[in-house]
Amino acid sequence: MNISIDVNENNAVSEIKVSGEIDAYTAPKLRETLFPMSEQNGVKMTVDLSDVSYMDSTGLGVFVGVFKNVRSNEGEFKIIGLSSRLQRLFDITGLADIIDINSQIEGGVQ
Amino acid sequence: MEFREMMESKYRELLENYIREQSEQALYAGQKFSRKSIEHKVSPEEIVSLHKSLLIEMYPEVPESILHSFDILLEVMIGYGLAYREHQSLRHQQEELRSEMEIAANVQQTLLGTKVPVIQGLDIGAISVPAKHMNGDYFHFVQDENNCISVAIADVIGKGIPAALCMSMIKYAMDSLPENRMEPSGILENLNRVVEQNVDPSMFITMFYGMFDPESDQFYYASAGHEPGFYYNAEKKEYRDLNARGLLLGVEKRTKYRQYQMEIHPGDMIVLMSDGVTECRTEEGFIERETLIDYIDKYIDLSAQEIVNNIFKELEKLQHFQLRDDFTLIILKRDV
Amino acid sequence: MSIQSCVTIINEWDIVAARQLGRNVAKELGFGTVDQARITTAISELARNIYLYAGKGQICIDKLNDAGKAGLRIHAADNGPGINDIRQVMEDGFSTSGGLGAGLPGVKRLMDDFHIESETGSGTQIKATKWLR
Repeated sequence: MNISIDVNENNAVSEIKVSGEIDAYTAPKLRETLFPMSEQNGVKMTVDLSDVSYMDSTGLGVFVGVFKNVRSNEGEFKIIGLSSRLQRLFDITGLADIIDINSQIEGGVQ
Repeated sequence: MEFREMMESKYRELLENYIREQSEQALYAGQKFSRKSIEHKVSPEEIVSLHKSLLIEMYPEVPESILHSFDILLEVMIGYGLAYREHQSLRHQQEELRSEMEIAANVQQTLLGTKVPVIQGLDIGAISVPAKHMNGDYFHFVQDENNCISVAIADVIGKGIPAALCMSMIKYAMDSLPENRMEPSGILENLNRVVEQNVDPSMFITMFYGMFDPESDQFYYASAGHEPGFYYNAEKKEYRDLNARGLLLGVEKRTKYRQYQMEIHPGDMIVLMSDGVTECRTEEGFIERETLIDYIDKYIDLSAQEIVNNIFKELEKLQHFQLRDDFTLIILKRDV
Repeated sequence: MSIQSCVTIINEWDIVAARQLGRNVAKELGFGTVDQARITTAISELARNIYLYAGKGQICIDKLNDAGKAGLRIHAADNGPGINDIRQVMEDGFSTSGGLGAGLPGVKRLMDDFHIESETGSGTQIKATKWLR
């Protein structure tokens, strides 16, 4: 159970690439990385989850928190690269209706 | 301190024996001595000091340089002694926490306890097993004056104590809902406001709320981001997902929930679950919803309670008796 | 009645000087080698805290004589940032989790009496005593 988080803050939009598994053990690390970023005014963040093999509801909690922070700081938050399993998680929880997901994937990720 | 008084002569005897014969037996006696001295909280630096003074007594001609070397050993051992005592004290604290946890788990059980209603025409089975001490899943039954049966199943994101605390709040909020009969969508909207105001932003709750009216055989339901359940159509022997769209509780203040409605025929079933059931992980990956359906089918002729108990046992075995997440499964079965 | 001598702690070598002072006094009072080592370890820890967190301070060693009972008191004082949550630093496992030695709970264990006073922004005073048995 491991996670790696690569952050690229060089562009106008901060890109965060997450690989591995997001669960109760790794979610705190993700939270530590994403929360300070999400609290900056007008931040633009894109999180790429295409290399995430597993995510449970703890991970979802981190993204809900980040989403709320970004929104209250008038920023933008996008999640891309969702597998069908993760997509389902966002659909069931209704988060797909409020968080911008998979909008910039070309050719589609299944 | 009886041991401390005889410690010196005991250690001297050990030392003499071993220096004389270098036997395994003498070493074994040394091991037993250490167990005793630990038990009596003798620190390692005391043993080093004792060793040094006995050496001087037994071998007055021992070189000064050898004796000095023990000062270094003693200094080093002080650190180990402190680390050991700290470890003991932390272990003691851990014991305390463990027993507090057990009490808290019992309190939670009592607080969140719900009675599975017994009514004519509807067979209800429910099981909820926490992965750790405290359960982050929750289910609740209410039977109102019109004999309508309401069922709520909820899952707090996360496990353990934070989840359990949050669940207690939900339970309180549900108990404080207005007495007059409310519809599932209204109840979710109400709870959503409570959660949004009172819970940490990265904590959220999923909930499915259903209500069965035995007068009209209608089942009304709404979902706040909860794992979809199943509807079993007895006539067609078919399962279908009990899809209901709705956002998690606690994300947006003014969320509206759509309410769904369906008729339940004799023999039909409503199956509700937490994601601990579908997130059940085996060596080959996650169990599929089809696997779950196969298990329901296998036990379909049993009572609702027996079905949920058996499914839990099967899935527990599949996971080698290690639950990763809280597990809750509820079946409502209309009598034939 | 007490007789006092002090070492100012500014750099790491002063820790050694404080230890030496403590050991000399402890020897003079008749403490055995184990207690000498405990006292110097406690001094080390307190001096190190001053060096690391306050930058500058003093370690004083008092000889005590209380109704025929002899003892040694370490008095560590600094005007550093102070300790915000004393209860927290006195908790086992708090300061030692990074493997940084005995911590204040360790000092308390090594000595017989332990008193701490600290105010955020104005420094810390610690008094720790060992009695001769």
